[in-house]
Amino acid sequence: MKSSGLSVWRSLRGAICLLVALYLIAPLTIVVIISFSGAPFLQFPPPSFSLRWYDNLFTDAAWGDALQVSLSILLPSACGATILGTAAAYAIVRGRVPGADFLYAVLMMPIIVPSIITAAALFGLYRLFDLNGTLTGLIIAHVVLTTPYVVATVAAALRTLDPRLEAAAATLGARPVASFRHVTLPLLAPAILSGFLFAAVACFDELIVSMFVSTARTRPISVQMWSNIRGDVDPTIAAIASLSFAFALLALLGSLFFTRRPEVDRSA
Amino acid sequence: MTAGPGFGRLDRRVWLLAPALVVLTLAFLWPVGWLLSRAFTQPQPGLGNFVQLVRNPGYLQVLGNTFLISAIVTPICVIIGFPVAHAMTHSGPRIRRTLIFVVLIPFWTSLLVRSFATVILLGRNGPVNGLLEAVGLTSEPVPLLYNLFGVLAGAVQVLLPFVIFPLHAVMLRIDPTLLPAAMTLGARPIRAFVSVYLPLTLPGLITGATLVFISMLGYYVTPALLGGPRQTMVAQVIQDQIAQFGNWGIAGALSLTLIAATGVLLFAVHATVGFRASVR
Amino acid sequence: MDFGSSALSTRRSVLAGLIGATGWLGSGFASPARAAGEFAGKTVVFAGWGGAYQDAEKTAYCDPFAKETGARVLQDGPMNAAKFRAMIESGAPNWDVADITIDFLYAGTGDNLFEKIDRSIIDTSRIDPKFVHEYGVGCIVWSYNLGYSTKAYAGKETPKTWADVFDLAKFPGKRGLGDNPVATMEVALLADGVPIEKLYPLDVDRALKKLSTIKSQTIFWATNSQSQQLFVDGEINLGLILNGRAYDAAKKGAPIAISWEQNIQSVDYLVVPKGSRNREPAMKLIDYMTMPANQAKMANLLAYAPTNPKAFADVDPQVSSWLSTEPGNVKKGFVINAEYWRDNLKKNTEQWTAWKLS
Repeated sequence: MKSSGLSVWRSLRGAICLLVALYLIAPLTIVVIISFSGAPFLQFPPPSFSLRWYDNLFTDAAWGDALQVSLSILLPSACGATILGTAAAYAIVRGRVPGADFLYAVLMMPIIVPSIITAAALFGLYRLFDLNGTLTGLIIAHVVLTTPYVVATVAAALRTLDPRLEAAAATLGARPVASFRHVTLPLLAPAILSGFLFAAVACFDELIVSMFVSTARTRPISVQMWSNIRGDVDPTIAAIASLSFAFALLALLGSLFFTRRPEVDRSA
Repeated sequence: MTAGPGFGRLDRRVWLLAPALVVLTLAFLWPVGWLLSRAFTQPQPGLGNFVQLVRNPGYLQVLGNTFLISAIVTPICVIIGFPVAHAMTHSGPRIRRTLIFVVLIPFWTSLLVRSFATVILLGRNGPVNGLLEAVGLTSEPVPLLYNLFGVLAGAVQVLLPFVIFPLHAVMLRIDPTLLPAAMTLGARPIRAFVSVYLPLTLPGLITGATLVFISMLGYYVTPALLGGPRQTMVAQVIQDQIAQFGNWGIAGALSLTLIAATGVLLFAVHATVGFRASVR
Repeated sequence: MDFGSSALSTRRSVLAGLIGATGWLGSGFASPARAAGEFAGKTVVFAGWGGAYQDAEKTAYCDPFAKETGARVLQDGPMNAAKFRAMIESGAPNWDVADITIDFLYAGTGDNLFEKIDRSIIDTSRIDPKFVHEYGVGCIVWSYNLGYSTKAYAGKETPKTWADVFDLAKFPGKRGLGDNPVATMEVALLADGVPIEKLYPLDVDRALKKLSTIKSQTIFWATNSQSQQLFVDGEINLGLILNGRAYDAAKKGAPIAISWEQNIQSVDYLVVPKGSRNREPAMKLIDYMTMPANQAKMANLLAYAPTNPKAFADVDPQVSSWLSTEPGNVKKGFVINAEYWRDNLKKNTEQWTAWKLS
C-alpha cells in the first residue's frame, strides 16, 4: 500500500512537471520561431523566414547601446543586492533585533510600493545629484528594487537552518566570520544563489523605474524594447528575447559543466 | 532562542542590517516617503484624497479587484509550484537539471516578450485553440484571452519561479530520513506528508506565496495585454492619475492604501504562521 | 536612433525620388533668414512615441533641421506623460521638443507645463489656424476610424457606421475598442443615434448603457500596436482603430480596411516644456516641422495628415485617401471636442473604470 501510494504521487508529480515544462517552454519556442519570421507582424506560424530582425539589432546602434547598458548594470546590481540582502536577512533571522517583523516589512517595501511611485521619487532625488541618465543611478535603483527578493529567499532558508550548528562551531573555537564561512554559507548557498538570480532577472526586466531615470543615451534594454513595442510590434523584440534566452542557456550549460559535484541521493 | 554571541545584550550581528537599511533609507524611503506625503498635501492639506477614494466607487473597486486577482494567482502558483520543487529536490540528477533548466531559462526571457508570446499562443486562431479543435475537445475557439484566464496564464508563468526556488532551497534542508521514519512509526504516507513534511516546508512556502502575491499586486503590463476590462488593476489607475491629471494626491492616496493593506496582510500571515518560527 | 527596417528603407528611396522630382515646393518662403550652422554645437532632445512614427519624425523633421542648423538632435522616448510631468515639475526637463496628444496639451496648458510658442521663430501662418495653439503647434491630424477585416467580410456587406459595430446580428464576431473613454463614448452615442451636432456635452450614462450591449463581445486594447495586432491575429472583425495604424497594417499585408463615416479627428501637437534649456533651437525644430515638404514626407510615410494645407501638393495620391484631412474624409467626420475632455476627462475616467469592473 505504501509503495502504490508513493507511485501514484510520483506519477502525479511527474505529470504536473511535464505540463509545467510545456507551459513554460511553449511561449519561449514561439518567441524564437517568430524571431526568424519574414512577416512584419508577430504572426504564428510565420509565413516566411528572414534574418532581418537580427540584422536590425546588430545594425541599429540604439540596441547595441542599450544592451551594453544592461550588461554593465546587471552584475553590480545583482551582487549589491545579494550582499546587502544576505547580510540583512542574517541579521533579522539570527540577530536578536527588536521589531524584526517590522524591519522585514520595511525591507520588502520596494516591491510593495507601486513602481511608478518609486520611479517618480527616484527621478526627483536623482535630479538633485545629477544621477539621471547615469549607470550609477541605474545601479542604485536596481539594488534598491531587487534586494527584497534576496532578503526573502535567504531569510526563508535561514529559518530552516539549525542555529545550533553555528553555536557548535563557536564552541569548538571558530570565530563568527569563520563559522559563517564554513558552516552557514555552504548550507545557505542554494538560497543565496536563488536570491542572486531573482535580483538579476528583476533587474533585467525592470521597466518603469528604468524608464524614468534613463535618458536617450543611457537606457537599458527593457526601456529600448518598450519604446519599440509602443511604436510598432515587430519581431525585433522577439530577436532580442531569443538572444537573451540563448545567453541564459549558454550560461546555465556552462555553470553545469563547471560544477560537477557528487549528487546526494534524495530520491523520494 | 538562539545562543549566539552577544547573548544578553544587543547582538552585534544587528550591524549587518545597517548597509541595507542605509541604502534603503537614502535611496528609497526618503524620496518615496516625500512623494507619498503629497497624498496629504495635494491639492489641499488634509485627508481630502482619502475621502475621494472612499466616495468614488471606482477606486475601491479597483483596489479590491487587485487583491482578488493576486489572491487567485497565489494559490495557483503554490499548488503548481510545490510538486515541481519537490521533484527538483528529490529526483535523480538528470531530471533535476532538466527541471532547473526548464524553470530558469524562460525566467531570463523578457517578461514583456513572453506576454506577447502568450497572446499569440492563446489567441482565437492560435496553436492552443488549434490543438483543442484538432483533438476534438472543442468545436469553436475558446476565449482564452482578454479575461481572467488570460491574466492567470500570463502571470503564473512568470511568477512560478518565485515559489519554486525558495521551496526548493528549503526542501533541500529537510532531512530525507524524516518521512520514512514517520512511516515506520505507523503513520500512513499522506498523514506523514501533511504532519511532518509540509510544516517543514512552510518557510519556503510562505516566502514564495508572499513574493508572488506582492509582485502580482503591482503588475499592470500583464493584465493590460492579456486581461479584459474586469481585470483592471490599481497600478494602471495610479499611473493614469499621474500621467493624465498630474494628480499626485490621489495617486499617493491609492498607493498608501495599497501599501497599508499589504502590510496588514503580511503581518497577519506572519503572526499566525509565526515569523521567526525556525525548525526546532 | 535608426530603426532601419528594410520595408521602410525601400519606401524612403522611393520617397527621395518623389521629393526630388517635385522639388522643395514652398519651402523656405516667408521664413526669417537662417544662417547655416546657427545652432552648431547645440543638442536638442526630441521625444516621440517610438517605433515607425518616431522614425518618420526623425526623417521628416529632425534630419533636415540638424543638417541645416548644425544642431544635433537626440531621439528620446517613448512619450510618457507621467515622466514628462515629473521632468517639468522638477524644473529642468531634459526633453526639448515633445510630441503630445491634444488632451495632454490642454491638461498641460492648464497646469502651466509648456513654453509659449515663439512666433518670431516659428512661422505659424503656414499651419491651418485651427491647429495652432498658444502653447503648441499641431503637427499631424489623425482620426479614430472604423476598421474592419476584409477577410471576414469578403464578398459581404462591410461595416460603415458606428452603429454597425453595435449590431451583433448583422456583423458577428468580436469587436475592438480602445481602453479609454475618449472617443469610445462618442462612438457609443453616435451608434445610439445621437447626431454629431448634439454630441457634446456627452451623455455618459447613455454611452455606457450602449456600450454594455456589446461589452462581452468587445476586446479593449491598451496600446495602438495591440489594435493592429488584434486584426492581424483575427481576434476581432471590426472596431476602433487609428487611421495611421490601419494604413500601416494594410501596407504590411494585413486584411484590414477602414470606413470614413463618422470619423473622429484629433491632432498631435509639438510642445516645448517649460524650463527647457534649449528653447530657441527647440522652437526652430518645430518651425522645420511646419514646412510643407517635411509634412508631406510624414504623410507619405505614415498616412498622418499634414496640418499645413500646402503640403498636399507633395503627397503621394495613393496615400491621400487614407488621410484625415483629405477633403472627402474631413466632411464625413468631425473634430473631437478637446475642451470638453479637458474639463470632463477625470470624471468620465472614474465612471469608465467603475463601468469596466461592473
